[in-house]
Amino acid sequence: MLDLQGKNILVTGASSGIGKDIAILLSKLGARLIITGRDHDRLNQTAALLDNQGTHLAVIADMDAETDIKALVEKVEKLDGAVFCAGIIDYSPVKFLSKEKINKVLSVNFVSQVLLTQGLLKEKKIAKQSSLVYISSLSSKLGVAGTAVYAASKAALSAFAKVLATELAAQKIRVNSLSPGIVKTPMTDGADSAISSDDMKEDEKKYPFGYGSTIDVANYVAFLLSDNSPWITGSDLVMDGGFTLN
Amino acid sequence: MELNTFIQNFEKQLEDVAPGSVGADTVFKDLDEWDSMTALSMIAMVDEEYSVKLTGNEIKQAQTIEDLFNIVKSKK
Repeated sequence: MLDLQGKNILVTGASSGIGKDIAILLSKLGARLIITGRDHDRLNQTAALLDNQGTHLAVIADMDAETDIKALVEKVEKLDGAVFCAGIIDYSPVKFLSKEKINKVLSVNFVSQVLLTQGLLKEKKIAKQSSLVYISSLSSKLGVAGTAVYAASKAALSAFAKVLATELAAQKIRVNSLSPGIVKTPMTDGADSAISSDDMKEDEKKYPFGYGSTIDVANYVAFLLSDNSPWITGSDLVMDGGFTLN
Repeated sequence: MELNTFIQNFEKQLEDVAPGSVGADTVFKDLDEWDSMTALSMIAMVDEEYSVKLTGNEIKQAQTIEDLFNIVKSKK
């Protein structure tokens, strides 16, 4: 059984999807959490679902805004772990890209994660022997139409995590990313998605184990944050129910 | 918004049709070049030209270009 008792852990993008279920699981395992998200109501919904009420902190933060990142860094106490889940997707084909669309996706998925990490390190908010986990995406290694900037932002994030792993090795801080295939979340499965439900059903058949669930990702993240994975750093695990076997 | 302009905007996203060969009653999913990429291009075109977020499911529901036009119009 994984145990995160006494660990202070930051989860970004906790108002929905993967980040939300990661936060819930970590709270069940005994972690004290600082959860952040853009949406006030949805972040509070996540907060209400956490175990061990009264020990956690919810901070509204728009990862697109540098001032919000700075305020967040100030608010957190020394961390034993952090999970970077904030992410958005835009399905524009390349010929429809604009500087604005590129910047929006890169800003949330990459730049903000880097700036938040930078701020936390500079202010010495990351304890020795802690564990940092970045949620990347299998799409960073594929060529799915319409995901050019999303895939690029996630490839950048995975590369960043690897370099950071080297920079922080002396402090025994572990840094890992993971690259899940399609996980059912409001971002991938929402009624407002660019991909129709029929096409999603058809695509899911390419996954021997079907699409993933948020809890599949959360379980692995909890393992990386625990003391059970002390020899794992610089990894980028593909987690895809067998999709890339073919 | 104008149906004729919409048809022109739609046609601009296609690579292999002669200008003026698609119309309001064209069943667009029967076009040879229609695929998931064309669908993404239509969603992006509608966002750019009409500031409407069309969904994959709405494209599935529509049969003709006019059907699609009406969906976009109803979301304006």
